[in-house]
Amino acid sequence: MHLREFFQEGDSMNWLKWFEIRGKSLFSIAFSLHRLTGVVLAFYLIMHLSYLTSLRFGQEVYESFIATTVTPTFLVFDILLVLAGVYHGVNGLRLILHEFGFAYEIRKPLLYFTYVVTLIVWLIASYQLYRYVMGV
Amino acid sequence: MADRFIPALQIRHGGVKMEKTEKALHTKRVLEPAGWILQLLTGLLLAILVTFHFYEIHFASHNAMEFDKVVERLSDTGYKVMYALLLLSVSFHAFNGLRAIAFDTEFGLRNSRTINAITALIILGAFFYGLSLLVMF
Amino acid sequence: MEVIFRIKRFDGTRQYWGEYPVPAEKGMTVLEGLYFIKEKYDGSLAFRASCRMAICGSCAIKINGKPMLACETQILHLNTTKINIEPLDNFKVIKDLITEFEGFFSKHEAVKPYLIRKDDNYQEPVELVQTPEELYAYYDYTLCIKCGACYSVCPAAATREDYLGPAAMAAAYRFNTDSRDEGSAERFAVVCTDKGVWRCHFAAECSEVCPKGVEPAKAVQKLRFKSAIYALKRIFSGR
Repeated sequence: MHLREFFQEGDSMNWLKWFEIRGKSLFSIAFSLHRLTGVVLAFYLIMHLSYLTSLRFGQEVYESFIATTVTPTFLVFDILLVLAGVYHGVNGLRLILHEFGFAYEIRKPLLYFTYVVTLIVWLIASYQLYRYVMGV
Repeated sequence: MADRFIPALQIRHGGVKMEKTEKALHTKRVLEPAGWILQLLTGLLLAILVTFHFYEIHFASHNAMEFDKVVERLSDTGYKVMYALLLLSVSFHAFNGLRAIAFDTEFGLRNSRTINAITALIILGAFFYGLSLLVMF
Repeated sequence: MEVIFRIKRFDGTRQYWGEYPVPAEKGMTVLEGLYFIKEKYDGSLAFRASCRMAICGSCAIKINGKPMLACETQILHLNTTKINIEPLDNFKVIKDLITEFEGFFSKHEAVKPYLIRKDDNYQEPVELVQTPEELYAYYDYTLCIKCGACYSVCPAAATREDYLGPAAMAAAYRFNTDSRDEGSAERFAVVCTDKGVWRCHFAAECSEVCPKGVEPAKAVQKLRFKSAIYALKRIFSGR
């Protein structure tokens, strides 16, 4: 079934329209990614607080958590998480500027700048994570 | 084929939902802009604090995630304040963000009071839970 | 050159796609193609059109996934031999390319899109003087032809039926910024709500598709800022 026909089934799947990018400009794509990364990060926040709970139970419990999650397998997820975080932050700064009514006329160069900064910061952060986990 | 329903009330009254009391209207009109302003302010704050937090854990030293180092940081008053601020900002920003997403839907429109209440509880809950971890050190 | 028009048809119960070959020539618009199909192939094809010169706003449809005015879109400028034509999104489809506009118009009505003045007196009319600078402050937002293209691409409008939408809020901003108007407070009461400015997240697609260059995204952000000031004033005045 085509994705669009799926929408007609009722309100419950309407939220998929936030991620419909066909025929849309980079601005809409930026919005869709901002929403997606926001939800991912909110979920990560909950996980992070649970993770920090291990501190309450002492060194052994905390270190067993570290041993499980600071590994090459989790590195992939960590790098994706950092991408989500950096994108959401940098794009968020762009949105703060525009939602206060500033810099609307330069919104296109600012959008491209957002993507470039995101890429650069992400690569630097990911490389550092990689070095730490791989012990390089 | 499901109908895309436009409630008759909205058409007859020009799309403006009729409110019952002035007080309810005032609260509603004040909560939303306050929520938006705080969302942007916490966003700005987080851009700084999360960057600092990430820098500290992954760039400043090689052993920042070791148990002893974590406890050392959490025992320091300055760090405690920073973490508390980070925690409050991120709790508000994340869960208010989810609230905004919920309000973008018909479900959110129908259950606005419940969602507002639950969001407030979760924000406070997350903040006080994190605080309870902070005060242990 | 022959161009296939692939049109999403709907007869009230059944949705299907119809394919119609149109002999496109230089200067021929998509609207002319639709009239050609209606005359030569299928008289039941339903679409709205009126002025043929991009001023009435009737003929906004989705062409290859993007909302455009059919009357000002030239077939050969699309650079493709197959054109997908669908009705606008976020509107209830009545038949073929014709959608329900009642809700859209009532939202426009809701923001009180007319000059509100305390000294409204038909017996003793007063000349309302305005400088060119005062006009330029809101002029761009007067160009809206209510075609619905902006509303069709808005992600907030896609999921919330009562969201006022970019066109209505651009109209609200147009009147609030008009130096002759004294009804800002009444309009803020409507737009400073969870179905007004606070539903906008600056996807800014509305400005990308507006055929008249109205820049509704800009209007909404400026209206948002002014709404926040209005709300803060109300908090501190205790009203």
